[in-house]
Amino acid sequence: MRVEAMNQLLRPKKLIVTTGLALGVLIIVMVACSLIGSEDISLRAALSNSGVAPGANPDHEILVRVRLPRIILACLVGAALACSGVVFQALLRNPLADPYILGISSGAGLGAIIAVVGGLNWTLWGRSPVAVFAFAGALGTVWLVWFIGRLTGKFHTTGLLLAGVVVNAFFSAVIMFLTSIAKSEQVYSTIFWLMGNMAEEDFLVLWIGAGCVIGGIAALFFISPQLNALSFGAEDAKSMGVNIVKTRTTAFAIAAGITAIAVSLSGLIGFVGLVVPHAVRLVFGSDHRLTVPLSGIIGAIFLVVADTLARTIIAPAQLPVGVVTAIVGGPVFLVLLVKHSRKIGWLK
Amino acid sequence: MSGIIEVRNLSFGYTAKSVVLKDICFAVPSGTFLAIVGPNGAGKSTLLNLMSGALKPRSGIITIDAAPIESYSAQRLAAKVAVVRQESVPIFGFSVAETVLMARTPYFGAAGFESQADRDIVKAALELTDTAAFASRPLTSLSSGERQRVFIARALAQNSPILLLDEPTSFLDLKHQVGIYDLLKAAQLEKGKTIVAVTHDINLACQYCDEALLLGTDNFHRHGPANEVLSAEQIKDVFDVQIFAGRVGQERFLMPLGRLAKDNRQINAKTGEFST
Repeated sequence: MRVEAMNQLLRPKKLIVTTGLALGVLIIVMVACSLIGSEDISLRAALSNSGVAPGANPDHEILVRVRLPRIILACLVGAALACSGVVFQALLRNPLADPYILGISSGAGLGAIIAVVGGLNWTLWGRSPVAVFAFAGALGTVWLVWFIGRLTGKFHTTGLLLAGVVVNAFFSAVIMFLTSIAKSEQVYSTIFWLMGNMAEEDFLVLWIGAGCVIGGIAALFFISPQLNALSFGAEDAKSMGVNIVKTRTTAFAIAAGITAIAVSLSGLIGFVGLVVPHAVRLVFGSDHRLTVPLSGIIGAIFLVVADTLARTIIAPAQLPVGVVTAIVGGPVFLVLLVKHSRKIGWLK
Repeated sequence: MSGIIEVRNLSFGYTAKSVVLKDICFAVPSGTFLAIVGPNGAGKSTLLNLMSGALKPRSGIITIDAAPIESYSAQRLAAKVAVVRQESVPIFGFSVAETVLMARTPYFGAAGFESQADRDIVKAALELTDTAAFASRPLTSLSSGERQRVFIARALAQNSPILLLDEPTSFLDLKHQVGIYDLLKAAQLEKGKTIVAVTHDINLACQYCDEALLLGTDNFHRHGPANEVLSAEQIKDVFDVQIFAGRVGQERFLMPLGRLAKDNRQINAKTGEFST
């Protein structure tokens, strides 16, 4: 007897073709967005004299020094946030989870505002104190929440979530306190950072960030079958033979790590980590072997487009990209939700 | 006493002072069907969780294939013991086939995909449980009876010699109750599985199970052949309810009678027999 459903299971070929196509779309979007901006540049002109003396080819200068770094940064941040959103939703078994739910946002925000209010102006490996403090704050907070969660019971997701909510609320209060005593120009730069903002970054920083994020996503892909089993709860996954302690610790550490990198590079960009995973699940199903890599790629596409809008819509002025992700992401998500709501389970 | 599962002097409590299970001893011979029966709060599900390794005993020992359960890794234990819990639904919409395939997760290759052997096992489990016909449907679109079969299919796909079930028929209508027990009995007789089911349905347990473990709330326990352990007198004592005992052909049946039931007065309080 033939079982038709067996042919609908994910095969390696389907995975490779789908991710390959998504990567192709990402590259097209990157090229297209690199040509859009307040200055019109032509790709041919930019590439024709690429070896000449600095300043001789303005198109090349704009493409390589201004647009490309920012587009690569948007890719990195979008991929990291979307992937870690998928993972947190699976680990916490909660569709409302996003990368910031366990306190990463408030921890990073607190780190950033301490750096701003403290008036620090040194640099560490080319990074501003805001970025360094935000990174440390993000990881420190996640560790704190994880530690408190462990005290409430071994991998008790409700305990972990509540610990995240409480730590978030507490640190937000500290942020508000520091904001209220800060000088007004400091407040302005902090608020801009909190809204999520892209800037041109060094290539070195970008390559290191890209290495970490791509490595992290690859590692998450290799534990994605275990994440599938964990969607049924820890007890079920364990009795199916999944080493839940190892899977959860690995997934948690990687998701928190890539989120901390994203946050330290671009501030608190909301919505990507919540909306992209759901959009991917609505269209492609729930299998994490597919949703992990696809969320990464589609998150990158989404943020590149959002950032292009952010820097062109009121050019030459720029919007914080976090504003665009929410304004664009919201309606897109609602359309998907209505169209495909039959496909996913948690709506029932 | 020897069996594929052995429980020796098992005691357990959730807090330092509480005693849920005390000095439980029994063995489950390979290829038998054991029913765990008892009133609410007697510790049936707790015992099942101990036997699946989800809880650790306070004292005593549980062995699977002569090795203590703590000595197994998650993967090796899953190769010996599969568990069907009460109604567990994932937060994301997986199809029936995807769900059953998850039983093979520990055996996936390095790239995260199943082998042809895994697919054959899944297919066999789908067919044995009559779930193949709707295997491409999402789990959330199924009725409780269908969903319970899917979870049994997933447990069977683990290819383990032992199957533990926690109230597998609690939300099902008569036809589906019998269907689930037929399916389990077939797995026992045809595949040689050892099956342990926690159940509230004493009549189904009498019909299908070889052995029974009766647990009382006062740390009483008795283990033995199902028709001896599940006698009218003992059920009456342990559940503290009037029982009418009858027999149709080979099958015994027990019917509880409440204080205000129509026929209450016509039942002999001692033997459970009907008198006019």
